[in-house]
Amino acid sequence: MTSPHASRVVELKIPSELGYEKIAREAVATVARRYGFTDERIADIKLAVSEACTNAICYGSKGDTNTRIVVVLRADDEKLDIMIKDPGYGGAPPGEVKEPNIHKMVKGEARYGGMGLYIIQELMDEAEFLPTEEGNGNQFHMVIYRMTNEESGADNHQGGNTP
Amino acid sequence: MSDEIQIDVQDVDGNTAVINLAGDVTTFAEKAINDAYKQVSNNGANNIIFSFRENDYINSAGIAILIGVVTEARKKNQRLIMAMPSSHFQKIFRMVGLTQYADIYGDLDEALSHAQI
Repeated sequence: MTSPHASRVVELKIPSELGYEKIAREAVATVARRYGFTDERIADIKLAVSEACTNAICYGSKGDTNTRIVVVLRADDEKLDIMIKDPGYGGAPPGEVKEPNIHKMVKGEARYGGMGLYIIQELMDEAEFLPTEEGNGNQFHMVIYRMTNEESGADNHQGGNTP
Repeated sequence: MSDEIQIDVQDVDGNTAVINLAGDVTTFAEKAINDAYKQVSNNGANNIIFSFRENDYINSAGIAILIGVVTEARKKNQRLIMAMPSSHFQKIFRMVGLTQYADIYGDLDEALSHAQI
């Protein structure tokens, strides 16, 4: 495809069951590729989407395979805007994201895990839980720009992609 | 879903072993990775190389599995080495601190040459 592209919206519903997040990650990667994201950015997006969907499956719907996780992707030449919705069975999302402490994990003082949200925040330009209009469920919102600040020469978005 | 990763084990010289991974390093890979690690560990390897491919995929559950291996390897005074051509993998490993517990090299030949020093 040649640039500029029209903006597009893709919506997916996946079963709330581990393994199905792969469908979401590959779908989002396919769209990112069409919009000219670099391989490194696409790898970041795949991981972030996988982590967010895994959280929605394991915590947001507590593994209830009768529920669905909704992924809404809005793409344009500038960015991908990704919303992941779950029923919120696990209660309120965490308010604070802590950097994982691998030293404690290796010493047996912390469980192996709890890294997903931290990784997402490091990889994406924006990442946050948003309140839902209905007041129930979780909405996790992520944005990643096609070009990093360094690539675009701008300072219009945050974070992400420090090698 | 465990078929999304293929693992084979290669004994290099009795003291060094390579665990070749191909595919998705996720929660579904846990048993296969742990079994491979136990195999080379029980065979006496002290230098254990995990060798990844350029197009492999890893998520936080996969990283947690490797942290578990790191924990076991430290108890046994084994040296863990990661051979990974993917800059994305290297970035993620640095991000979570795994590079403080395992040496990282860009390819298997380089990892082998350092393992056998």
